[in-house]
Amino acid sequence: MIRKVISGNEAVALGVKLARVGVTGIYPITPQTTIIEKLAEMRAKGEIETEIVRVESEHSAMAATFGAALGGVRAFTATASQGLLYMHEMIWWVAGSRVPVVMVVGTRAVGAPWNIWNEHTDFTSERDSGWIMAFASNPQEALDLTLQAFRISEDERVFLPMMVGMDGFILSHTKTNVLIPDQEQVDDFLLPRRQPYVIDPEDPIGMGNIFPPEGYMRLRESIDLALRNSEDIIKEIGREYNKKINPLGDYSTLNVSYKLEDADYAIVLMGAWAGDAMEAVDTLREKGIKIGMLRIRYLRPWSEKEIRNALKDKRAVLVLDRSTSFGRGGGPLYVEVKSTISDIVPQIKGVVSGLGGVTVNKSELLYIFNKFVEGLKDDVIWYYPKEVGKIELRTPRDIE
Amino acid sequence: MSLGLREILNKHNGILSGTSACPGCPENMAMRMLGMGLGKDVVLVVVAGCSSVIQGNAPYNAYNFPTVNVAFAAGPATAAGLARAYKQRGKNVTVVVWAGDGGSADIGFASLSGAAERNDNILYLTVDNEAYMNSGGQRSGSTPFGAITTTTPEGKKENKKNLPLLMIAHNVPYVATASVGYPHDYIEKLKKAKQVEGFKYVHVLTPDPYGWLFDPSKTPEVAKLAVQTCYWPLFEYYNGKLSISSESLHCLDRRTRRPIRDFLSAQGRFKRLTEDQIKILEQYIDNVWEKLKSMLDNQ
Ligand code: SF4
Repeated sequence: MIRKVISGNEAVALGVKLARVGVTGIYPITPQTTIIEKLAEMRAKGEIETEIVRVESEHSAMAATFGAALGGVRAFTATASQGLLYMHEMIWWVAGSRVPVVMVVGTRAVGAPWNIWNEHTDFTSERDSGWIMAFASNPQEALDLTLQAFRISEDERVFLPMMVGMDGFILSHTKTNVLIPDQEQVDDFLLPRRQPYVIDPEDPIGMGNIFPPEGYMRLRESIDLALRNSEDIIKEIGREYNKKINPLGDYSTLNVSYKLEDADYAIVLMGAWAGDAMEAVDTLREKGIKIGMLRIRYLRPWSEKEIRNALKDKRAVLVLDRSTSFGRGGGPLYVEVKSTISDIVPQIKGVVSGLGGVTVNKSELLYIFNKFVEGLKDDVIWYYPKEVGKIELRTPRDIE
Repeated sequence: MSLGLREILNKHNGILSGTSACPGCPENMAMRMLGMGLGKDVVLVVVAGCSSVIQGNAPYNAYNFPTVNVAFAAGPATAAGLARAYKQRGKNVTVVVWAGDGGSADIGFASLSGAAERNDNILYLTVDNEAYMNSGGQRSGSTPFGAITTTTPEGKKENKKNLPLLMIAHNVPYVATASVGYPHDYIEKLKKAKQVEGFKYVHVLTPDPYGWLFDPSKTPEVAKLAVQTCYWPLFEYYNGKLSISSESLHCLDRRTRRPIRDFLSAQGRFKRLTEDQIKILEQYIDNVWEKLKSMLDNQ
């Protein structure tokens, strides 16, 4: 194990190397691009044996990765934003085929209009696709979750693809200290590739042809069951990861609590702003406000038990969304949390912020949390940091 | 040495009994011949189209190959992934993409072009029935001028996209055209393609009784007429060299071509064609042959 200052994207590329991935389908899209560049560089230097398929679109990146996985090797790809949306069809196809595949998403806003900066809407929009979905909050976790993703998706009790999200630029391009495991450690943790079936000429099976309605529905149910049952398996694999690879990480739970036990107020969020939020929580704690935080690390499976346990007997809960669910007021996390705890928590409020790269730092979070503790009037607000408050949008009619 | 038809029939049969194809289905025929040409050690990637249906309902499969079904535009890249996996595992497998004209000329074209440009070691087959037959016969980029389809009830206004020539322009090692009317020629081309390393493209004309409006007993006949009238040229492009197949050699000279009307009148989809429009089709055929001839002259 060595310690190195690297970016989130480099950490993921190293994870792919350590996992001895067989085939990687690559296509560039900001802010994921440096992952695939790093992989191509390692391949050119002979440091990895991964076959790299340089495809002509993200749709093909997911298709090539799917094909490689069906052919019996470990397969990986990465994408973001428009690219993820372009892949959408194949993302469902892979899950419906129950074949283990791992993908990293460097999250980014979705156009129109063009915006290359961070938000989580691309990632959260895939939450019904049948993939296991984890979200990192620092480069270390991006590496750790990528390695665990191979193990989880290839577990015979799961056999589902898994994607790992990480905040574009904030994690993908920012360098921090990362513990990088040795190859032997990873080899000890990652079992040889397992999958439910391999397409081989010796075994003439057909996959994906027309299914009668009842069979189709049963398959859908099997995906739902496998996803929900994966909760215990993720914890089991997480504990093993703590033991064999990163004793400093805590992967024995799906989601991460911070100062929640005695808290009256709780913040729920996902991703990189958790770091600033913890500092804001500390500051409020110093003032005697009993507040804590729950960081959602797994959007799917959604651990109802864990989340209810963490948030029960709170006076009020505030859910921060860096993504949208249009027409619903709050973002996807707000909707999920509300449906999970509305019978045990009297007040559940939501804030949508940080979209399209809008900076939300510690002082802004402190402002939001303070307002929340004072008692937010509305159930959901869209919060803008002070300096953008005066921006006016011109609508098409204005321009006429 | 080429085999006689009897020997070929004893080889691997690409299709098992009990398919969901319509009577007289040309794709069924093309798939049967695929087995005769390629034998075993083949993995099939089937994109959306009639062929997704012909194989029948899961858990059964009428294709006598391991088969992966994928979304419309995903065939070539899925095959590329499979081929890389087999290479990694040291296995010798011919990965075949089986797609209709919609999947090849339209929605999947970027993916097809990408795999060709990368020279992925796969065999790509277009079974061209000149419309979206699986969804009921709508026009595709491969539908010829004047043909009636459900979305061009007045007859298509544009010419057929010439996919085989486009594939030659991709500079891949092997491109060939075939017709289910000439099984020998098609099977020989498949056998040749199997030996070639890199990207192979075979485009088979598959006249469809339901979309082209002729009697299902006439599929081979119409498929032959397409070649005899020079509407559908049979050729092979290998190692940078074009050669016209013997069935089409007579087309090099205009005077020895069978009149296009013989092909047009054998089916219902051209019944609205006026004399002027027939001239446009003739012009299209002339152009194709001029192009082929100039390629022959320049090599
Ligand atoms: S519509 Fe044509 S190609 Fe499709 S199954 Fe029927 S005969 Fe075959």
